Amino acid sequence: MIKYIVKRFFLMILTIFIIATLTFFLMNAIPGSPFNEEKTSNAVVQENLEKHFNLDKPLPVQYVLYLKSIVTFDFGPSIKQPTETVNSLLGRGFPISAELGIWTILVALISGITLGVVAALRHNKLIDYTAMTIAVLGISIPNFVLATLVIQVIAVDLKLLPAATWNSPQHMILPIIALATGPMAIIARLTRSSMLETLTQDYIKTARAKGLSPFKIVVKHALRNALMPVVTILGTLLAGILTGTFVIEKIFAIPGMGKYFVQGINQRDYPVIMGTTVFYSTFLVLMLFLVDIMYGVLDPRIKLHKKGGE
Amino acid sequence: MKKWMMLLLTVLFAFTLAACTATDSSGDGDSDETETESEDNSSETNEETSGDDVTTLNLNNGQNPTSLDPPKGFDSASWNVLNNLMEGLTRLGKEHTPEAATAEDWKVSEDGTVYTFMIRDNAKWSNGDDVTAGDFVYAWKRLLDPETASPAAFLGYFIKGGEAFNKGEGSKEDVMVEAVSEKELKVTLEAPTGYFTHVISNPAFFPINESVATENPEWFAEADTFVGNGPFNLAEYNKDKDMLLKKNENYWDAETVTLDQVHFAMVDDTNTEYQLFESGDLDVSEIPSEMSEELIDSDAVSITEQAGTYFYRFNVTEEPFQNEKIRKAFALAVDQQEIVEFVTKNKEQPAYGFVSYGFQDPSGNDFREQNGNMLETDPEKAKQLLEEGMKEEGYDELPEVTLTYNTSESHKAIAEALQQKFKTVLDVEIGLENTEWNVFLQDQKDLKHQLSRSSFLADYGDPINFLESFTSDSVMNRTGWSNDEYDQLIADAKSESNDEKRWELMYEAEKVLFEEMPIFPVHFYNHVFLNKDNVSDIIRHPVGYLELKWASKE
Repeated sequence: MIKYIVKRFFLMILTIFIIATLTFFLMNAIPGSPFNEEKTSNAVVQENLEKHFNLDKPLPVQYVLYLKSIVTFDFGPSIKQPTETVNSLLGRGFPISAELGIWTILVALISGITLGVVAALRHNKLIDYTAMTIAVLGISIPNFVLATLVIQVIAVDLKLLPAATWNSPQHMILPIIALATGPMAIIARLTRSSMLETLTQDYIKTARAKGLSPFKIVVKHALRNALMPVVTILGTLLAGILTGTFVIEKIFAIPGMGKYFVQGINQRDYPVIMGTTVFYSTFLVLMLFLVDIMYGVLDPRIKLHKKGGE
Repeated sequence: MKKWMMLLLTVLFAFTLAACTATDSSGDGDSDETETESEDNSSETNEETSGDDVTTLNLNNGQNPTSLDPPKGFDSASWNVLNNLMEGLTRLGKEHTPEAATAEDWKVSEDGTVYTFMIRDNAKWSNGDDVTAGDFVYAWKRLLDPETASPAAFLGYFIKGGEAFNKGEGSKEDVMVEAVSEKELKVTLEAPTGYFTHVISNPAFFPINESVATENPEWFAEADTFVGNGPFNLAEYNKDKDMLLKKNENYWDAETVTLDQVHFAMVDDTNTEYQLFESGDLDVSEIPSEMSEELIDSDAVSITEQAGTYFYRFNVTEEPFQNEKIRKAFALAVDQQEIVEFVTKNKEQPAYGFVSYGFQDPSGNDFREQNGNMLETDPEKAKQLLEEGMKEEGYDELPEVTLTYNTSESHKAIAEALQQKFKTVLDVEIGLENTEWNVFLQDQKDLKHQLSRSSFLADYGDPINFLESFTSDSVMNRTGWSNDEYDQLIADAKSESNDEKRWELMYEAEKVLFEEMPIFPVHFYNHVFLNKDNVSDIIRHPVGYLELKWASKE
């Protein structure tokens, strides 16, 4: 087991290194510069700026500097917000995005699994169709459309909740609805189909024959297996949602970190691009690692290491 | 095995959780942050208890200011805030002309190159210190220091020795700005610059409290450490989220300021901004583009001119636009009036010249009106010019033309209107191409476009700022156009001490520009805002900063 973890750890570092290297060369390959402005820009001023941010150095030197920044996890100042470091931008954005993200995932998981299970148990009944209609709607309506819709209806017309900004728990409700609906629908559909499959299997019949209560059968025996596909998507979902979403954060004026992914690239703010990419990829590989371990817990047949457990 | 797994999993989860809380506390737990939070609470209770006597103006700044360090925050998101937190020697008044501010008076030497500013005795920093001439010397030399890498440094090139220092050729000592006494500042300029008092109203020229800045180089980063000298103080600053400005009782003209507080939200989405305006959380809002038709004529709308021009650049190094007549044919085919009326629908002024409205010459005439229309929509003449031009070049068929714009719905609409116009007037089919913003700018600089969308927003209030864009060596030129007579006129205008002659030279220069037509203008920019009825006197200067000194809310 420990051997497996050590191996995975080194693989993770390798993955991040490859991602960082690719990002570095790709971002330098896109035409443009952080100092391209519509307005009058003066040649001397531009040179001073380039010198200040080490952009006058040859690419290999910049690359080494970037690798150093990754190892020390210090990405230096943002080019477009020169009096802030990338670390401080991510440091204040991430907790906010993560807070919103955790609630979103919880809501999506609980409501998605419930919908899926109910639909599977009442297969081809009215409840099934209702749940799946909700799910299809949830998948097909993009979250930014839903966001504008809920703001208009719930905040502006009905005046039940604040429209946007980030101040109190009430401010979180609308963005959570907008963000959670899509993942909820996906989870509901996954749960339903794998639940249907699991329910027809022999061991469930055995459990029934043994006279176990239906509740116990569903929760303890069926659901545990049926959740495998949900766990599979959970890793990417977690990494994606916890690190913030550009559109939803923009619409609701949430000071999270989602905007830096897009802004960094649009403005060619190289340190920000590197910072967000490395942060996101680290987070993602960590989540995937956790998911792999979760598999083993949920299904003892899955062995994490070749030589077999006990 | 199973127990092992569970144990491991618990440990891992605990670890991730701990990591999460660690980031959390490193974000919020810093003493400053907790202080702002407690201030937050107290201010809220203040508002509740004192009720009506506190007037808070609720505005939206769109984005977090790039930086509140004056020479580094070189954009309107920073200026809107900075201009109300600090003050330079001069300040733009209600009519957008420079007025005495931190300096109560100034003298100009006869040749127009030496300015002596007398700083007010009661000009104070928000921490109680006197604002001294030394604070300006410190700030201006810092602006020009190549180490500072300020994007606004070129504005300091008017000062003698400024350009050399910024280029890394001269020294700090040779920058000719000195403190004659505690309250007297002497500046020597490279050349007489009649509009120098306008230039120094820009936030890049704001003073910096030297003792504060030496003690804490990051003084501008937090509300607690920010020391300003303007009408308002920075009371709270939650980055990316909001900021609260409170009236500065130490400000020399505090009696004029009627607002107690200004709250800036940072909402980047215009639709959301409008929804917040509708729900009463904001007092001022922009108009979402989809709703402009519906809202533009309402009473709540205020429209002010902005010093800037939306125009198109020809690339004179590419066929077919190396030919002047063909350029003119395209330019005359454009119907500016029609574009403003039916495409942009934002009440802009159609542009028939490059310099926008709002600049008065010494005899009080507006530049734009005085110099008249540089071109006029004329389909007949356009057709004729195209024919002549094609004959000159020996074209049987016009080489393919592609119009490039950066990806955006509004630019696309104008580009399509132009495409249509060229088709109906000149019977020329042109292609449209859009690229991502930064790629677009790079290609434009590298002269890879044939005909491309452009815009210009002035840095300071003088027509020369517009016109100097098209000298041969300007980074802003991006047309490949070069004209010795034009270069000379601009150089002469920059060194001319007689203001009337200077304006003559600028009038002449604009004419030369349009004789050869390397560009054609479309419209001038404006600011369109929705205001709540009880809000008045928010001033927006054409050069791009917001003024709240006179603003009031009932």
